[in-house]
Amino acid sequence: MTTLRAALPAGLLALSLPVAASAFELTSEPKVAFIYASVAQDGGWNEAIDKGRAALAEDLDLDIAVAENIPEEATRLRAAIDLYVQRGYNIIVGTTYGYSEAMFEAAQAYPHVAFFNASGVHNGANMESFYARTYEAWYLAGMTAADTSEADKIGMLAGFPVGVVNWDVNGFARGAQAVKPGIDTTVVYTNSWWDPVKEGQVSEAILDQGADVIATDLSAASALSAAEERGAGAIGYQIDMSAAAPEGILTSVVFNWEAYLTPRIQEVIDGTWQPEEWGWFAGLASGVVDLAPFGPSVSEETRAKVAEAKAQIIAGELQPFAGPLMARDGTEVVAEGDVLPDDALWTMDFFVDGITGTMPSGE
Amino acid sequence: MMDFILAWLTVLPGYVVPLLLASLGVLLSERAGILNLCPEGFMAVGAMTGALLCLAGHDPWTAVLAGTLSGLGLSLVFGLAVVVFRVEQTLAGLAIVALGLGITGVIGRSHVQKPFPGLPRLSETAWGADLPRLLGQQNMLLPLSLLLLALIAWFLARSPAGLRLRAVGEDPAAADISGVDVQRVQLGAVLASGALGGLAGAFLSVASAHVWVEGMVAGRGWVVVALVIFARWRPLRCLWAALLFGGTEAIMPRLQALGVDFPVYLGAMLPYVLTLAVLALASMRRGARSGAPAALGLTYLRQDKH
Repeated sequence: MTTLRAALPAGLLALSLPVAASAFELTSEPKVAFIYASVAQDGGWNEAIDKGRAALAEDLDLDIAVAENIPEEATRLRAAIDLYVQRGYNIIVGTTYGYSEAMFEAAQAYPHVAFFNASGVHNGANMESFYARTYEAWYLAGMTAADTSEADKIGMLAGFPVGVVNWDVNGFARGAQAVKPGIDTTVVYTNSWWDPVKEGQVSEAILDQGADVIATDLSAASALSAAEERGAGAIGYQIDMSAAAPEGILTSVVFNWEAYLTPRIQEVIDGTWQPEEWGWFAGLASGVVDLAPFGPSVSEETRAKVAEAKAQIIAGELQPFAGPLMARDGTEVVAEGDVLPDDALWTMDFFVDGITGTMPSGE
Repeated sequence: MMDFILAWLTVLPGYVVPLLLASLGVLLSERAGILNLCPEGFMAVGAMTGALLCLAGHDPWTAVLAGTLSGLGLSLVFGLAVVVFRVEQTLAGLAIVALGLGITGVIGRSHVQKPFPGLPRLSETAWGADLPRLLGQQNMLLPLSLLLLALIAWFLARSPAGLRLRAVGEDPAAADISGVDVQRVQLGAVLASGALGGLAGAFLSVASAHVWVEGMVAGRGWVVVALVIFARWRPLRCLWAALLFGGTEAIMPRLQALGVDFPVYLGAMLPYVLTLAVLALASMRRGARSGAPAALGLTYLRQDKH
């Protein structure tokens, strides 16, 4: 399944409806539905959201309807939404970038229904897109990787060179460099979102270059299995992937969507929800993105370092892309004392200094 | 540099073997005149069946065999459709792909992302511990696939049955007159393509990824269809084509990891551009044989004979 779910930013586009000054109010009892583009238990992105859905259902004592395998096609999604609305559902949560346009149209057609979309691009009076500042957690993962690496060379697999992926890659490298300034971060783009066989093979390619930690920014765990087989360290993504590398696992960058969903849906039910004009977008402080428990090979010292950095990021004292930030080609992206603005995050198309690899679109 | 090449050669079979196995199947089917677009579906059922048996605790070789048989089972549906009921081959092939992907999605849905040990590498076997890395990293499916290649090449070129199969693909009416049971030969060739496709799929899950996930064939079946055209329907050339297609795929992440500045997207296009070039060249050489079996894709009905 190749979706562009994470390919474009929540809240980047200015096509949004004007946001009403007053809060959104439900006109009937809350009925929530989640819509997935493939199976909910996909071992990655959907599974992380579905975990949030389960927590939401329990926390707010809701009976949530789930539709799986609704393709990212306007006609198919709209048919599903229409059906839910007819049956009285008034809170609909989409889970992929590919739903953006059709959901936005449905939001205009059904102003009494609240719409949410993970990694979507549109927002309005009754619609909010949401995504996480994943690079903050990747920064911590980078610190863990560098502190554990003995070869001073770590590797990472990524999908396509789009902003939300590139900030993970650069965040990882920046975190590694914060611990070991000279460390090499080797990055390979697989040019697919979903190809477990290839991801295992790419992982081997990076290990053959001498890296002793492999991190994956993709959904399949096969990259970690390959690392485990070679006795290398492994870092997963989206859900805790320790099952694929029980010995070598260092940690995983995970989503806890319930940290967003539960309070947000409560607001909708309470009639206090005001959609964010540019979409909801938060990091470690919100808890939606975090590190999974550390693996057995991560030392106490490393855990302490990472915990300290995490506290600093949450307190706003540490910013992964604070200046001086140098791109690999030698240009200064952020001067000392400044931080990278959000709009530059979404369009990030460069490697930071210290990364080995080729960005497919060219730098 | 030597290290780089050695490492590349070590992983090469992982890319080449599934392409080679599935393409030999397509080749057999198409040399018998049956256009075969099914490998994506055959490989999907093979990969899922192999993985499910491994997860159920069976021996990896049992799993490989079951994967092979599942591909054969799906090809029986295809064979019945195109050989017995004479359904249009392109449409039937596409339907089989959809069927294979659909079945695996439904049956395999509660088994995704569960890792299993799978087929051991030679270095992990009792007798292979001292093999050099280049050989030790391989598994027994590599020699098996080369053996199958040799067998199929011999079968097509030298055996009477192979001659009959080729005759059916070139001129089914003439073969029919000379006493060849056209339908039986075609059905046999289609079943072989299913078995080889299933085996290729089992390689992906049991020997390579050690996990099942929906959609894990990820387009390799379509690469196989192009590969057979590129190989001009010759068994040995399937090996060279699989080496080219798989080799390109294998070297690109390695060049990326080295930081070599090269156009990744152009590299990924290369095998397909070459396939198009071969097709164009073959059709430009007037009078020369294009290599395609003359009756490929045509439905043979005895009463149409003239």
